[in-house]
Amino acid sequence: MTVRTLVIDGEPVGAREGETILEAAREHGIVIPTLCFLEGLSAVGACRLCLVEVAGAPRPLAACVTRVAEGMEVATDTPRLRAYRRMILELLFAEGNHVCAVCVANGHCDLQALAAAQGMTSVRFPYRAPARAVDASHDRFVLDHNRCILCTRCVRVCDEVEGAHTWDVAGRGAGSRVIADLDQPWGTSDTCTSCGKCVQVCPTGALFEKGRGGGEMTKRREFLAYITTARQAHRWIR
Amino acid sequence: MNSRRIVIDPVTRIEGHAKISVLLDEAGRVAEARFHVTEFRGFEKFCEGRLFWEMPAITARICGICPVSHLIASAKAGDAILAVEIPPAAERLRRLLHLAQLVQSHALSFFHLSSPDLLLGFDAPPTERNLFGLIAHHPEVARAGIRLRQYGQTIIELLGGRRIHPTWVVPGGVATPLLPAVRQQLLAAWPQALEDARTGLDAFKRVLDAHAEEAAIFGTSPALFAGLVDTAGRVEYYEGRLRIVGPDGEAVAEGLDPTRYQDYLGEATEPWSYLKFPYYRPYGYPDGAYRVGPLARLNVAAACGTPRADAELTEYRQRTGRVALSAFYYHYARLIEIVHALEQIGRLLDDPAILDRDVRARAGRNRHVGVGVAEAPRGTLYHHYEVDDDGRLVRVNLIIATGQNNLAMNRAVAQVAAHYITGDDVREGVLNRLEAAIRAFDPCLSCSTHAVGAMPLVVDIVGADGRLVRRVRRDPAATSR
Amino acid sequence: MADLPSSPGLPAGSDAPAARGERLRLATVWLGGCSGCHMSFLDLDERLLALAPRIDLVYSPLADIKTFPARVDVALVEGAVATSDHLELIYTVRARTRVLVAFGDCAVTGNVTAMRNPIGPAAVLQRAYVETASAGAGPPDDVLVPKLLARVVPVHHVVPVDVWLPGCPPSADVIYAVLTDLLAGRPPATGGLRFG
Repeated sequence: MTVRTLVIDGEPVGAREGETILEAAREHGIVIPTLCFLEGLSAVGACRLCLVEVAGAPRPLAACVTRVAEGMEVATDTPRLRAYRRMILELLFAEGNHVCAVCVANGHCDLQALAAAQGMTSVRFPYRAPARAVDASHDRFVLDHNRCILCTRCVRVCDEVEGAHTWDVAGRGAGSRVIADLDQPWGTSDTCTSCGKCVQVCPTGALFEKGRGGGEMTKRREFLAYITTARQAHRWIR
Repeated sequence: MNSRRIVIDPVTRIEGHAKISVLLDEAGRVAEARFHVTEFRGFEKFCEGRLFWEMPAITARICGICPVSHLIASAKAGDAILAVEIPPAAERLRRLLHLAQLVQSHALSFFHLSSPDLLLGFDAPPTERNLFGLIAHHPEVARAGIRLRQYGQTIIELLGGRRIHPTWVVPGGVATPLLPAVRQQLLAAWPQALEDARTGLDAFKRVLDAHAEEAAIFGTSPALFAGLVDTAGRVEYYEGRLRIVGPDGEAVAEGLDPTRYQDYLGEATEPWSYLKFPYYRPYGYPDGAYRVGPLARLNVAAACGTPRADAELTEYRQRTGRVALSAFYYHYARLIEIVHALEQIGRLLDDPAILDRDVRARAGRNRHVGVGVAEAPRGTLYHHYEVDDDGRLVRVNLIIATGQNNLAMNRAVAQVAAHYITGDDVREGVLNRLEAAIRAFDPCLSCSTHAVGAMPLVVDIVGADGRLVRRVRRDPAATSR
Repeated sequence: MADLPSSPGLPAGSDAPAARGERLRLATVWLGGCSGCHMSFLDLDERLLALAPRIDLVYSPLADIKTFPARVDVALVEGAVATSDHLELIYTVRARTRVLVAFGDCAVTGNVTAMRNPIGPAAVLQRAYVETASAGAGPPDDVLVPKLLARVVPVHHVVPVDVWLPGCPPSADVIYAVLTDLLAGRPPATGGLRFG
């Protein structure tokens, strides 16, 4: 295994070749905020919250999909990055209908927690207030498009871990949305195994268990590490 | 034609946004008075498409003063949709939470909002007539009120996790059982709460005689009274049947199933207010005007059912007669209800059954319709949901306590106006008495318009052609023109 | 909102009312919200007694002054801007206030009050005043009853805001910390507060 040496936030850091900046940083206890990234799923660099500055690169790069290189100089926490992260969060809040106070995931939501952690206490952009539907056709689960940020964690866990590939993203731009099978009510899906993995990995209250009230939807993510370890290392531990 | 309109804007120290206008005839006598509610938020529409399980958390946001009543009514509607019987401990805990809210909300209404009028006087300077004026001039009463409200809020916080908008009440029961240590803590603070309630009652009784005039005038117009009672005819806040009595105390209707409210209650609208006008259908609109809340509950019920409150009720009835008509007695009734609620809280906490850990019944959607009804601090509260097969709301109707007093509030304002106003000689204290007539009903306008402010108090005297004849500002800093 | 006029901003150090030996001129304002934030203010409980000598409550739904006065040090504004009355009032508040605090989620984000936005005011009025009414003439139409705005917006989308205080409602402890900071002339620390 080839080792690469790079500098993150002024600290020399060793990393394996092929690792991402995010992985290298985490191994060294450096926190880079993420939202669409989830350990155990493929990285897609969709949300851009993990942007870092790399010396010589003309623009910030997503740490979750940028591989380390020898001698790379990375900054993870600069005024410019903080401003971008804040703006990204504001845009996410402005884009959908996120009413934290009455959300089933209130207090257990990655988006809400990130906004607090990044000091985002208001949104400068006009709220779009789109008219979006709630799909409650599944016996056990609910998809609320109002709270979906299109991170595609559900799409990836269903495809990569469960192997069902029920979810996809349809539409373009502001019209993009998560769909089940051939854009049909979730409850009528032939492929869905009702395993609930999508619900557990969803960062917000967009996917939740039916019967949960305000703030009652806690998310259980440990299963993902368990399954990946079992598959890759044949060790049935978390 | 020289009819004129006097406007009080905003009505302050009520829980909501409102204006009062008084229309004078050519002779300068009061022709009509209106109580305008100026807020509307639209919960009945924007909740459509949400799941009924989410409704307690959403509808709690109708009102920061009595969120718990909405939690209770909403969860009860949810129970009906689940078609479950909730565990006994869950019902006890819901009752405890609801009574705690009655204590804090009534304490707010009497001590924080209304007692400045009663203890500092209707003619006290407007800059002083508030809680901080009370703290300066009657610190012990203010402290008792603050502490009493705190007791109610503390119960809510310790049960529900937070003081305002807890989401602990859920369709099927409550989220978590009561911990023994919390029960002990609440029992330990109980005697002080009862003493603070006593301080309020004593203070009120001292001023009652001094305000004989207000007591006699404040909205004595006849109306029906409605409230829930238990099988023995006692005051009931959580369950029970609706009883409606006339101004003579005779029952107009008994044993009405509150979930079938549509059979006997209608809702009218007027172009000059966001607050609707519920009425008793058999009497039509507006003759079917009825009142709800503390005064109505004590008029409707045979007794409270707890010793201290029943002793107070006996004295109350000696003062007011069997049926109290004047809205002024709302305050008195409210203070007796605080005592009653505290006694019930004591009883609930004394019973170890309240610690049972089985507090939630689980089920899916089993029915398409659920109606949840409870006695909120200000009167009977109705949540009516219709859901689709998946549990999504397709229709929501909410009838809020204060709305049911709307017709009576308008009559009370007219009565006070007619008594005090002739011509355009409108003194400051008179305007405050108009407001106080409204305040006595303790309207919770956040709730009733599913909304919730304030602006200058202006008396506009408006000619019949709509032209402003004269404007009187109450604020001493402002000028007249 | 770069094109908005700037606010007078936070009082700094020696400029603070406390440093001038004066009481803080505090206003509380209630726009489109549930009053829960005002209730959370009252949840200061006995701390209200301690604050009383240091504060003049110059305008509030809890008090009887009907005109928003001049020279207000701090205004806590609860609620979103939802009606024509709110719009009129918030411009006055901004013009006469030094530190405008967006007080709670409705003022900060629109929150539950803004949940009607995807539907619009006409449909909500139709449901409440026509479909569920059994008598009457439909939605209110009177000069004294304000019009609903086409969209409910947070306060800072209309006038500049100096401090955002998220929470539904912000807890009494948070409110106390902010008031204490403002009394001392410090910019309040609100980082880390979350919505909901």
